[in-house]
Amino acid sequence: MTAALDSPTGILRDAPPTSIGRQALGQLVGKRISLASLIVVSFYVLVGLLSFTPFVKDRIDQSYSLDNAYAPPALRQTLADGSKTISPAVWFGLDFEGRSVFWRAAYGTRMALLIMVCTCAISISIGAVLGLIAGYFGGWVDDLITWLYSTVSSIPWLLLVIALAYVIQNIQMVNARPAPSWIAEFFGGSTTVILALGLTDWVGLCRLIRGEVIKLRDLDFIVACRAMGLSEGRILLRHILPNTMHIILITFSLSSVAYVQVETVLAFLGLGITSKPSWGRMIDDSKLELLRGVWWELAAATVAILVLSLALNILGDALRDALDPKLHGVK
Amino acid sequence: MLAYIVRKLLLSIPILLGIVTLTFVLFCVVAPDPARVYAGKFKSEAQLQALRHQLGTDVPKSRQFWNILTFHFANSSRYQEPVWHLFLRKAPISLAIQIPAFFIELGLQLALALLVASRRGTILDYGITFLAVLGMSVPVISLYLGTQWIFGGWLQWFPVAGWSPGFFYALHFAALPIIVSVIGGIGGGVRFYRTVTLEEINSDYVRTARAKGVSARDTLFTHVFGNVLIPVLTNTVVVLPLLFTGSLILERLFQIPGFGALLFDSIHAQDQPVVMFIVYVTSILYLFMLIVTDVLYTLVDPRVTLK
Repeated sequence: MTAALDSPTGILRDAPPTSIGRQALGQLVGKRISLASLIVVSFYVLVGLLSFTPFVKDRIDQSYSLDNAYAPPALRQTLADGSKTISPAVWFGLDFEGRSVFWRAAYGTRMALLIMVCTCAISISIGAVLGLIAGYFGGWVDDLITWLYSTVSSIPWLLLVIALAYVIQNIQMVNARPAPSWIAEFFGGSTTVILALGLTDWVGLCRLIRGEVIKLRDLDFIVACRAMGLSEGRILLRHILPNTMHIILITFSLSSVAYVQVETVLAFLGLGITSKPSWGRMIDDSKLELLRGVWWELAAATVAILVLSLALNILGDALRDALDPKLHGVK
Repeated sequence: MLAYIVRKLLLSIPILLGIVTLTFVLFCVVAPDPARVYAGKFKSEAQLQALRHQLGTDVPKSRQFWNILTFHFANSSRYQEPVWHLFLRKAPISLAIQIPAFFIELGLQLALALLVASRRGTILDYGITFLAVLGMSVPVISLYLGTQWIFGGWLQWFPVAGWSPGFFYALHFAALPIIVSVIGGIGGGVRFYRTVTLEEINSDYVRTARAKGVSARDTLFTHVFGNVLIPVLTNTVVVLPLLFTGSLILERLFQIPGFGALLFDSIHAQDQPVVMFIVYVTSILYLFMLIVTDVLYTLVDPRVTLK
């Protein structure tokens, strides 16, 4: 009897289950420009991951110059014995201490990746949890959370980030107790940036998820879950959260662009990454180098940020078109 | 209408209290003792106490909360003068840059958006939209540094940096900052207003207007433009307080002694009263402008009902 249902020609087999990730991927690969930006982003992720290895770390502080620190971009490096060899270290020129702009830019990719992932982890967890709770339970919890995000969104975002970074940096300065060495090594002084961004940028996501959950919570399938006696936690995590996944994905790709950009502002204010090279620090360093006509460090960091932002912007818009039928952007 | 405004104002009181609480928690509870941060490690307890008195942090926390709520701020530790005086001295300089930049930027954004939306799908549309996205993706600091180096340092069309009172001097020094600030901010607006314009162009009322014989130009400038102004309103009114604060990066790089540069210097000099003042006052003004936007919205868009 059950054989009829299990047969390959049965109706039940016709539609293979598709996850939201697979749908998104299918849509993205379909269009040439979004496929191109997906490849660019993957390339950045690859470079960033490779820069976690000691191979790159050993090269960021090393001096490659023999006599002049500000060597312009060149294909071949002059070694101590006067011979020349092809070395990527000098491809983007050297900075004011004779350090390789190429390797520092590569290491900056690692920092950007770290900031994007860690910040999104913080902001998405806060935004998703508060949004789910507010939307699902309603009542005074909703009022409280709505008040909280209305307050935070009434402060201009950049100003709030700067204020928070300022306070966090002062705390770190007064508390002389240093962090464990592996944390310092891994984060390279980016904790101020990550916390300042992550603790302030959950507002938009929280508002979107709350709105979506309010729409979802009275739909039949949730009522059915409740009738079957599933616990609130299970309903929220297994049945409502997956239906808000598209919002989280879109937010992740669009807001990570902003994080890289704000990192440059914080670096400029002296509130950014302290101990390791990042794109923001490279731009900050270049303001003195420009006086001597040394443009390559600025150019390297700018192009790195520009290409990544462009790709992530296109990817985010494509994701929004692919995943959110209600937000039909006019093209 | 009056009842609506009053209700809006009353509803914003919890948010106002929220802003005060957030400022208080951030600067008076979480932040370390500002006297210690400002003075450094090697001061005696008596010196620290004197500094605390000066910074107003030697009074109970409840009193500090009240001081923030009633706009009583300690004197700037760096300038030794009331923060309000600093505000009145610095804000006009920021405005001299920000107001022209704001209006030029808005005008260009609207003009370009209407232009590309009415020529949708052409090379012009793709070109300008691409440039707009490109402009949004360039880090602003790189843009400022790059233009300063090219036009100030290399071509020497403008002074690299500096400031001097007097209208013509100010114009001399402000020209480049205004231009780069317009270039830096124009992209996002062009892209957003283009989308808005396209949505309006595809509406039924536009088809009706065209059908009854209104020319394409008149439809665009009277019917479409009027409706595009509604999202423009929400986008621009809220940023008006940010004109006072100026751009801290721009003013720092071009050596303009405005309010933005003051924030920059205060962060570097650990001048907590000034940092707190700027964050708090800007947030209050921002909140006020959000309310103004809501009220204006009901005035320009009859579809929005007063609830």
